[in-house]
Amino acid sequence: MKAIDIFGYSFNAIKLRKLRAALTTLGVIIGIAAIVALLSITQGLQATITNSLQQGLSTNTLIVTPGSSALGAATSGGGIGARGGGGGGGLGLGGSSGSGFNLYVNYTDQINALSPDIEGSFAVIQRTGYVDAGGVNRSVSIYSVDFNQYAQQYSKTFIAATGTIPLSPTDNEIVVGTRVNDPGQNGTLLFNAGDNVGVIWTNATTLPVVNETYTAQVSGVLQKIGGFGIGGPSDDGVYIPITKAESFFGTDQCDMIIVQLKSSDNATITNVSKAITDHFGGQVSVISSTAVLSLLSTVFSTIQLFLGGIAAISLLVAGIGIMNIMIVSLIERTREIGILKALGMKSRTVLTIFLGESVIIGLIGAVIGIVLGWILASVTARVLASGAFGGGGFTITPLLTPEVLVGALAFGVGVSVIFALYPAWRASKLKPVEALRYE
Amino acid sequence: MALIVEAVNVTKTYMLGKVPVEALRGVDLKVETGDFVSILGPSGSGKSTMLNLIGALDKPTAGTLLIDGVDISKLNDNQLADLRLRIGFVFQFFNLIPRLTARDNVELSMSISNIGRAQRRKRAEELLETVGLKDRINHKPAELSGGQQQRVAIARALANNPRFLLLDEPTGNIDSKTASEVIGLIKKLNVENNVSIIMVTHDQHLAREAKRTVQMFDGQISAEVVNQE
Repeated sequence: MKAIDIFGYSFNAIKLRKLRAALTTLGVIIGIAAIVALLSITQGLQATITNSLQQGLSTNTLIVTPGSSALGAATSGGGIGARGGGGGGGLGLGGSSGSGFNLYVNYTDQINALSPDIEGSFAVIQRTGYVDAGGVNRSVSIYSVDFNQYAQQYSKTFIAATGTIPLSPTDNEIVVGTRVNDPGQNGTLLFNAGDNVGVIWTNATTLPVVNETYTAQVSGVLQKIGGFGIGGPSDDGVYIPITKAESFFGTDQCDMIIVQLKSSDNATITNVSKAITDHFGGQVSVISSTAVLSLLSTVFSTIQLFLGGIAAISLLVAGIGIMNIMIVSLIERTREIGILKALGMKSRTVLTIFLGESVIIGLIGAVIGIVLGWILASVTARVLASGAFGGGGFTITPLLTPEVLVGALAFGVGVSVIFALYPAWRASKLKPVEALRYE
Repeated sequence: MALIVEAVNVTKTYMLGKVPVEALRGVDLKVETGDFVSILGPSGSGKSTMLNLIGALDKPTAGTLLIDGVDISKLNDNQLADLRLRIGFVFQFFNLIPRLTARDNVELSMSISNIGRAQRRKRAEELLETVGLKDRINHKPAELSGGQQQRVAIARALANNPRFLLLDEPTGNIDSKTASEVIGLIKKLNVENNVSIIMVTHDQHLAREAKRTVQMFDGQISAEVVNQE
């Protein structure tokens, strides 16, 4: 029997039992939709975070922070999180470590001398504080940096949308992220470039606690960076010159030193990382973007496997439903199978007809499921972006990779066929004499 | 004349639970091309077993059974299925596929033997015209009377140009008036189209319509009669 005729016969059999076929297909649809929705959201999230990391941490950069443990400590500071969530931003600095070891601004000279592969380095002091714009206080992260080096390092993100970034700033000049002067991102500006604002830092190292404050002039507002602002410039950041910071914060102790390398190959990253760690007697963490990205990728693979597994269970249930229906259908159609065999149909053709029915159900279910899953993911992303669940609304673009697409299709059809194998096999093995006698 | 059926000392034993039942006990039978043979017998005489064997639905326990010159004992399931393509089965309960129209039912047996769509459609319509159902081709079995359904079944049986038609109580489920129409059609096919026919029945009147009657009793052939017109 020709493939097209077998397929036509299968399709005809399904058409007769529309409701039953629809319910069976629904099982596959739900399973596939769940898988597609979960995977495309997590992949979208991963892409957003990775992208944001790559902007913040260029591959030829190392970040040195105090604290002896490696990546674990770096992330435990709540650094890699949604923007606005921690306010701390940055890369999980964990503050000064308990060991009592501190990094100081002038350590950059020591670091620069460690290896010929080092292009240069600069210190970052970071505090949580406020900006006072005409009586409106806005919580921000204050980063004190060398504007010239920072602009070089983050040439793609540390760019002024309005005003300019002063490369040799006076102490009272600052640069702010776009959400600092436009918190709602809706054009309602708290202040403009050129205006004066109050910069406030709550000093808890003295008793009683005092609010240190000074008036600064906003030289420039950064263009929108988006994402999570990890490592590099952030939309919620306020940037003040490092020279001002030492007097304002009353310390020359820094939170991190960013090291620029001449090359981004793995050997250079490993060698320089080791040289820096050794120099400070193992009391610093050296983070490279490569290491962070690979950690992130591992974490997300695990999450995806977990979520995908949960969704796969629903597909398993769908498979059992298919098997159930096929067995019922097989019993109902025993006589029909007898007729087909009496007319000269081979056993393997009977097998193919039954499998064909499951392929059709699987295919239709998978296609509808993929579309539905995609819609579900898009709606979820939109709800998250609207900030309905707090967190300031972060943007995820759900990602439907060809792998997920093909995988979902294959999985849907595969599960249907696997669970139809046994009923189809039983149908093909029916003896014509007995099948014809069946009432 | 070529032989379409040649049975030599055919036996068939079933296991009914743990009890062996000898359904056929040494049957010899020859049917030639163009013949019209009826196999007559009461229930339990072994005629249904004989029908299953001649229809290549089952194999004999012992003896030789040649269908269209092929020893069916030596065939595997696939080869038996291929042999069935050369046999035109007509059942007592019509056994049409309920969801298919008359034409699609006739086409089905041709699609099993790999005939192209256009060709089988044309032949299905011709055959339905031959059996007098030209205006019923798009009706489903439920929309047809018993006699009409049986005529569709005959058209389906003829579709693959079989070596012979094998009829199982062809009028058992239809009223006597319609039955005489169906038997008229069968005789016409035999006489005018030279279609060989083997018919299994317990109805003596029906059996007499054939050119000759083979009587079965208790798993053996008890008599052979040549019927007069």
